[in-house]
Amino acid sequence: MKRFKRLLALSTGILSLALMGLPQAGADVVEDIVKRGELRVAVQTQGPPVSFIDKNGKRTGFAMEVIEMMAKDMGVKLKVLDYDWKGLIPAVRSGKADFLAADMTPNAKRTLVLSFTAPYLYSDVVLYAKKGMGFKSWQDVCKSGKTVAVVQGSSNVGLLKAKCSAAQIKEFAGGGPAVAQAVAADRADAGINDQASAAGYVIEYPDFQVLDGALKSWPLSFATRADETHLLRWLDNYFMLIRNDGRLDKLADYWMRGPEWKKDH
Amino acid sequence: MLEVFKATLPFLMHGLWITFQISVVTIISGSLLGFVVGLVRAERIPVLSLVFGGYIHVLRGTPFLVHLYFVYFMLPATGVSWLQLEAFPAAVIALSLYTSTYVAEVVRAAIEAVDPGQTEAARSVGMSAVQNLRHIVLPQAVKLMIPPMGGIYVIIIKGTSIVSVIGISELVRAGEHAAQRHPSELMLIYGMVALMYFVYCYPVLRLAKWAENKIGRIQTEH
Amino acid sequence: MDWILDFYNWRVVAQFIPEFQRGLLSTVGISAVSLVLALVVGTLSAIMSLSARPWLRNISAAYIASIRSTPLLIQIYVIYFALPALPILGRRLDEWEGGILALGLNAGAFMSEIIRAGIESVERGQIEGAKSVGMNYLQRMRYIVLPQGIARVLPPLLGQTAVLIKDSSLVSFIGVYELFGAGLTLLNERLMPNEAFLTVAGCYLVIYYGMFLLSNRMQRKLGGTYA
Repeated sequence: MKRFKRLLALSTGILSLALMGLPQAGADVVEDIVKRGELRVAVQTQGPPVSFIDKNGKRTGFAMEVIEMMAKDMGVKLKVLDYDWKGLIPAVRSGKADFLAADMTPNAKRTLVLSFTAPYLYSDVVLYAKKGMGFKSWQDVCKSGKTVAVVQGSSNVGLLKAKCSAAQIKEFAGGGPAVAQAVAADRADAGINDQASAAGYVIEYPDFQVLDGALKSWPLSFATRADETHLLRWLDNYFMLIRNDGRLDKLADYWMRGPEWKKDH
Repeated sequence: MLEVFKATLPFLMHGLWITFQISVVTIISGSLLGFVVGLVRAERIPVLSLVFGGYIHVLRGTPFLVHLYFVYFMLPATGVSWLQLEAFPAAVIALSLYTSTYVAEVVRAAIEAVDPGQTEAARSVGMSAVQNLRHIVLPQAVKLMIPPMGGIYVIIIKGTSIVSVIGISELVRAGEHAAQRHPSELMLIYGMVALMYFVYCYPVLRLAKWAENKIGRIQTEH
Repeated sequence: MDWILDFYNWRVVAQFIPEFQRGLLSTVGISAVSLVLALVVGTLSAIMSLSARPWLRNISAAYIASIRSTPLLIQIYVIYFALPALPILGRRLDEWEGGILALGLNAGAFMSEIIRAGIESVERGQIEGAKSVGMNYLQRMRYIVLPQGIARVLPPLLGQTAVLIKDSSLVSFIGVYELFGAGLTLLNERLMPNEAFLTVAGCYLVIYYGMFLLSNRMQRKLGGTYA
């Protein structure tokens, strides 16, 4: 036993030394991007409409089209780094990606760690459930004895705890489809997701309906490493530009405000 | 249902191909590394044996995801240039380390299964430890190592699913992507994924069974 | 201790102790029950695979082959989503029961092979001795073969248990809040991957160490020997 303990101490010691590695100390990453001629963006392929693989195998979605535009207007190539939610943060913090293009909500604690752009969009969060359950608005589900399914690790978990605490909250790994599957299989009374995704599920599962009322309107932002102020300003400026010339609204209407995209993707 | 099947099949096949590539490279590198570790443990080489023992325990006792995170994110953060790893190499390295813990146990058991009388005889006619290993022990031990490798290979094949965290589009990830696009066919898609794993893994297991019947089995201990 | 805060902010982690407690309890609970189930199923399957009757051997072989050749996640999904209401319970399995059943059946297949090797390693002489003092099959199994057989393969069984404990994180796919989920809660709220992953790894290592100690104690009690 002593041997094992000593070994453990030794291994932990080595591990800790290795971990002391600091993230890339930054020269301005915008300069690096221009120098190498390539923009590296971390995306989370979490599903339509923000970032997903369409039926033709092409990577697309609202976030994808925005960053493709960005790279073009920057005059550089785009390299997309795809990660699971768990890998997204380390990807940008370790310098593997220049910034992170997902639908993250810049809450107070998160902004302690990364820098977030001003919101590019506000997204309503809704509940969806099977028809015929007697639910009309989302408050009808937030009663004791009911279950709401949510994506594991999503900001909506905290939202449910705050606004829907009477109901039982079940976190599902596997993303939005896993939550929809849970509702479809009667393993949960309702699922929670952003309005765009919910609209998609209602089309996929004809016996689903979106319940009235939005629990919250989350601001959505891209994120950079905390000290990359130049890149952050560039991103904010870019959103201002495409908001100004109407491109942002066009993209948002196509992807985020209705199920139009389903026809082509 | 049929259209979804036909539409997703090519992507799943591509995912299977990626899984195949990762598993093949890993089994080779993991076996080499595991062989060294197992040999050191079997010969009870002083300090190294203990270090490797700790290495095996730590890797066995922690989730593979954390090893992957360490190799792909933490190592490059140290700034050392040759540690700047892309996804595929990082995945292979992490998976090989994990595999080597299994292989090391198999190697050790195989070497220890060779009758110590043989070693005694070899040493008594003047062979050095290395010569003993090379000409007497290993040839017999290697035969015994082969059957369990089938089971280990299958563990690797299924372990590749975790590397999706760093963006490699292996089979399960391909299934998840397809499920995002066709959420109502989630069970069908995952069923297809299971079938593909079966098509890959079952022959490997049969081969291992056949090898075991021909060669005989060892007891993997420790 | 402040220098540790540079790469592992334990103060933040301390704020998540309730979540980690909940997850840890979940993981340990599910793993423990699944382990028992796996040992029972594995032993049964091992005995069946050594049976003289071909149909018993075939059932065992089919069970083992199908489990080992398919991913655990799919097995969990099938058991939780595809199984209908069970007659005995009058309802479908909830996520805990489904998770335990899937994990137990999965680990059971691997343990079956391990236990079979253990049983086969018990010397003929022991069995013959037992027969000659008038023990029947059941008594032989219970007093002679199984205790020695299982004691001999405790190390590989420990390895398989370690796998089971880590595999238990997959029950998050059917809505169970377990240890990894607690780490992800930390990651999601504070965006601190080091803290999240290292804490999770540490907890799993502690569980593994506990199993290691348990396995050593059992080894001494059952009197197994190494080659």
